Amino acid sequence: MQVNLTINKKLYTLELKGHETLMEVLREHLSMTGTKTACQETECGTCTVMINGKAVLSCITLAANAQGDEITTIEGLANGDVLHPVQQAYVDCGSVQCGFCIPGMIMSSVALLEKNPQPTQEEIEYALDGNICRCAGYPKIFEAVREAGKKMKSEN
Amino acid sequence: MLLNPLTLHLPKTPLEAAKLYKELEDSKVLAGGTFLLNSMKLLKTKGTKTARNILSLAKVDDLKGIDFKGDTLTIKAMTRINELFDYSLPKGHLEILHTVCRNISTNPIRNMATVGGNLTCRYTWTEMGAVMIALEAKMHFLGPDGKEDILTAEDFFKNAARSEKLFTHVTIKTNPAARTAYRRVRKTLHVDIPMLAICVKTEIKGKQWYNSRIGINNGVAFAQRDPVLEAFLDKSSSSSGLGEQALEYLTATIYDTRSSEYKQHMFRVSLRSAIEEICKST
Repeated sequence: MQVNLTINKKLYTLELKGHETLMEVLREHLSMTGTKTACQETECGTCTVMINGKAVLSCITLAANAQGDEITTIEGLANGDVLHPVQQAYVDCGSVQCGFCIPGMIMSSVALLEKNPQPTQEEIEYALDGNICRCAGYPKIFEAVREAGKKMKSEN
Repeated sequence: MLLNPLTLHLPKTPLEAAKLYKELEDSKVLAGGTFLLNSMKLLKTKGTKTARNILSLAKVDDLKGIDFKGDTLTIKAMTRINELFDYSLPKGHLEILHTVCRNISTNPIRNMATVGGNLTCRYTWTEMGAVMIALEAKMHFLGPDGKEDILTAEDFFKNAARSEKLFTHVTIKTNPAARTAYRRVRKTLHVDIPMLAICVKTEIKGKQWYNSRIGINNGVAFAQRDPVLEAFLDKSSSSSGLGEQALEYLTATIYDTRSSEYKQHMFRVSLRSAIEEICKST
């Protein structure tokens, strides 16, 4: 079936099969490998992308179901060489260890901060509870979210 | 390839969806996908056949949204769990829905999973059944001929959560006299599937309890009421010992069915603390 997907504000017309997940389409059809794949059963959050501003799991999203929606992946955050404030905060705060979970973490963080740039610790934990970091680097990740929120608030 | 080949159907209206629901063979309804697609992936890894036709409700706009008019809250089938969590519910006993949503799985799942999916997926452990029974919710279904059926949540789950028609929305009435408490215990720290969920609702006059409804989800059977405990509570008044006294009235067929000692203990702890929470609020 022919499917129109809007990804990072760009329209893609693709010939897809009904069973293809958004994660497979991003990684295998469009080579957007920033979105990671790990558990493939909704436990880990590495495949998190944003659809219409909400953090969702691309491993259980059928690509054809996302027609007409605004899909944002980690590749769509930076403006050229300038990192998104959340990406920059993750770098500045030393929040990245092995880095595998980080694209998903960042997408969940952006979805939170776009709605609420000054979240409480409880709100950060609520928003990121679906993203697992096996390096257990959570304190630095939470710090980056708070710092990015401050920057995003001051920029608005 | 994570899933077996399938044909995806994307109706635009509830009636079109209801007709396809009746017509399509070897089919499953796709709401948020958090149960269905995961189970289809798992079955594929085991070499088991999965549904050939998937009826997606993602593009049926009339099945989305929450509305509060007069004394009735309407939650449409495709309302995401986090949309209900973010919705400004009327003050009072319906706010328990926020607590229920807050405790479901993780944030991306709450952004995807729907109220309709949680109620109709036919997994016995899902959270919404017990609370809808306790809140005396009515479930609305649409047939291919456009005719609507309305069932109480209690009757729907008594019928093993089966329906020949398409679930469209649930309605719940506000009730100023009602008080509610909710408890959910997860199976293990690492697997966020509920081992049990309970919702206690009662109405209070002075300190006297009446019209109590206990919605129980034991994870083994579909959500159900506990008439014995309700009858005891309806003869009771709020007091500091009521939670403990209530534990004398637990029916073995509800609370002990295939339960470990830990689960039985957690049922007792949960019921006692839910009842005590209501006592303290009065």
